[in-house]
Amino acid sequence: MNPKTGWVQEFWRIVVLILVAWAAGAVLDQVYLFVLLALLAYTLRNLYNLRRLAIWTADPQFAEIPVHFGLLGDIYSKISRVALRQAQKEKRLTALVNEYTASTSALPDAAVALDASGRIRWFNDAASRLLGLQPAKDVGQPFLNLFRNPEMADFIKRADYSDMLQTTAPGNSERKLEVRLAPYGNEQTLLLAQDITERLQHERMRKDFVANVSHELRTPLTVVSGFIENLQIDEELNTERLARPLDLMAQQTARMSRIVEDLLLLARLESDTNRNRHDEIDVAGLIRSAADEIHSLADDVPRIECEISSSRRLRGDEKQLRSVVTNLLVNAVNHTPADGAIQVIWRDQGPQSFLEVRDNGEGIAPEHIPRLTERFYRVDAGRSRDRGGTGLGLAIVKHILQHHDGRLEIRSRLGEGSQFVCRFSAARLLQ
Amino acid sequence: MDTSNLKHHYSQQFNSELEDIRSRVLGMGGLVERQLELAVVSLGDRENALAESVVYNDRDVNACDMDIDERCTMILALRQPTASDLRLVLAVIKTTADLERIGDEAKRVAKMVARASDLDRESNLFGKIVHLGEQVQHMLHRALDAFARMDVEAAIEVVGEDLNIDSEYESVLRQSMDYMMQDPSSIPVVMDTVWAARSLERIGDRCCNISEYVIYFVKGKDVRHASLEQIRNEFEG
Repeated sequence: MNPKTGWVQEFWRIVVLILVAWAAGAVLDQVYLFVLLALLAYTLRNLYNLRRLAIWTADPQFAEIPVHFGLLGDIYSKISRVALRQAQKEKRLTALVNEYTASTSALPDAAVALDASGRIRWFNDAASRLLGLQPAKDVGQPFLNLFRNPEMADFIKRADYSDMLQTTAPGNSERKLEVRLAPYGNEQTLLLAQDITERLQHERMRKDFVANVSHELRTPLTVVSGFIENLQIDEELNTERLARPLDLMAQQTARMSRIVEDLLLLARLESDTNRNRHDEIDVAGLIRSAADEIHSLADDVPRIECEISSSRRLRGDEKQLRSVVTNLLVNAVNHTPADGAIQVIWRDQGPQSFLEVRDNGEGIAPEHIPRLTERFYRVDAGRSRDRGGTGLGLAIVKHILQHHDGRLEIRSRLGEGSQFVCRFSAARLLQ
Repeated sequence: MDTSNLKHHYSQQFNSELEDIRSRVLGMGGLVERQLELAVVSLGDRENALAESVVYNDRDVNACDMDIDERCTMILALRQPTASDLRLVLAVIKTTADLERIGDEAKRVAKMVARASDLDRESNLFGKIVHLGEQVQHMLHRALDAFARMDVEAAIEVVGEDLNIDSEYESVLRQSMDYMMQDPSSIPVVMDTVWAARSLERIGDRCCNISEYVIYFVKGKDVRHASLEQIRNEFEG
């Protein structure tokens, strides 16, 4: 209805009312009284309508519109239109919220929203399943009061959003979780926990399998290589025709047993994560003896220079650290021509110390560098195998350094040589 | 959760102090839970290195104990708390003491593992003690959860669970006696396992105590020496 017509109708209604009252008053000679009474009646009717309006607006959606005529009818229809729109909007929003809650509760990972002081604001169904949170009771509770693992408290305090934490579920040490944090909104944090029990089981199965296979291969290999040695010694059999095949067999079985040994070493390194020994290692002495050893093994190796400027010792497993130095040196020797030069450096820089092996050999193309520590990754498959590498050396180095809170950094330029840098943190160093 | 009364103090500082000691007790609880877990694992896997780390880390638990006691003393002296605030501080002090003792018992179990390396791990007796240890671990976890939520019903459940622990302990004892009678040369080893079982059983009792402090804080009623039946009639009926 046009708002103007409402006003016009109302106006004509008052005019007609007054005219009628006037006419009636003129007949009975009481004009003022009648007009007054008419206006009084009009006011009373308006008051009554206002009251009806007030009652009706309490729930305007479903009730019938009581008045269709005049200014009031106008107001009624407007209000009911607004109410209808509101109801539709509400319905849409409710549907949206429902859909949102349904989708978050369908998430397989636990999600918990924490406020700035670490209290729980909200969590999904998976969080009550995986973390044992109780829907009605635990909102508003400090999260760490319920998830009391000491490492969890450290992890949340550190608030390193790029990091992940592997931990066990509260009250169920069989279930392993991987927890991540993400900041959002106003100093709030979203905590996500994923159940990785199965994944860890698979990983363990894979590692066990490799370790078992390597172990089982060891005995037959020993037998085979023993007999090959016997055959080589036997003058009757070691004729012109058989000499070369026997040599090759001896070489390849030796290589195979090196691979098996390296695989077993890797398996061992992976299985005991934080139970390594704490010897005080004389790194300088270790470097010198490793260099001497390599010099004594072959004649056509490049010169190895030891530059030792640090007197620090390292806390760790001496055997493992020796294997780091030997592996890096053997790699350098294999990839440097005999007239090249190799430097081994042990130096301090601030609180950290660096063990570096530099060569001026062929170098490594940049696309290979990130993958060098993968098992059996080879830059040039044919060549490194000729030199007797197992393809596991750098993987072993990386693992050993992890055990010693160290890091391996590789820098190289094609044609100019490579640098392998082991960085050790202050906590492991002794003056 | 009955923490509403922690929120209406005029002094914001006082509120946060009360919240803080509560969180600290639970943090200490987490540490003790870890100690107990590692002690039981070291018992099951015969890992001496692990057992030694449990013995070593007990000092962290003791440090927590002293720190929380100190804070509670400060609150008592400076704030003179009354009613539920006072009950909270008292419950915290007592819970801390019990947690410290649980830590000591875990250390005792770990010491036994570190010492008796020739224990026959295949024996049935051993599996039983590990099982007892896992049950006690679960009980400690639930007692601390009840403390975090100040949940009386959960606390009563924990008190009820102690019956299972006691019967499990009895059966370990009976079996140990059988072993000792059959083979007197095994007595030193079996005695060690009996002491470990005894320690675990004591941890169960201390978990009951913690649950009783929860009831004390929420309901203001001391139920320490009441029977389980009495407690149930009082708060569930």
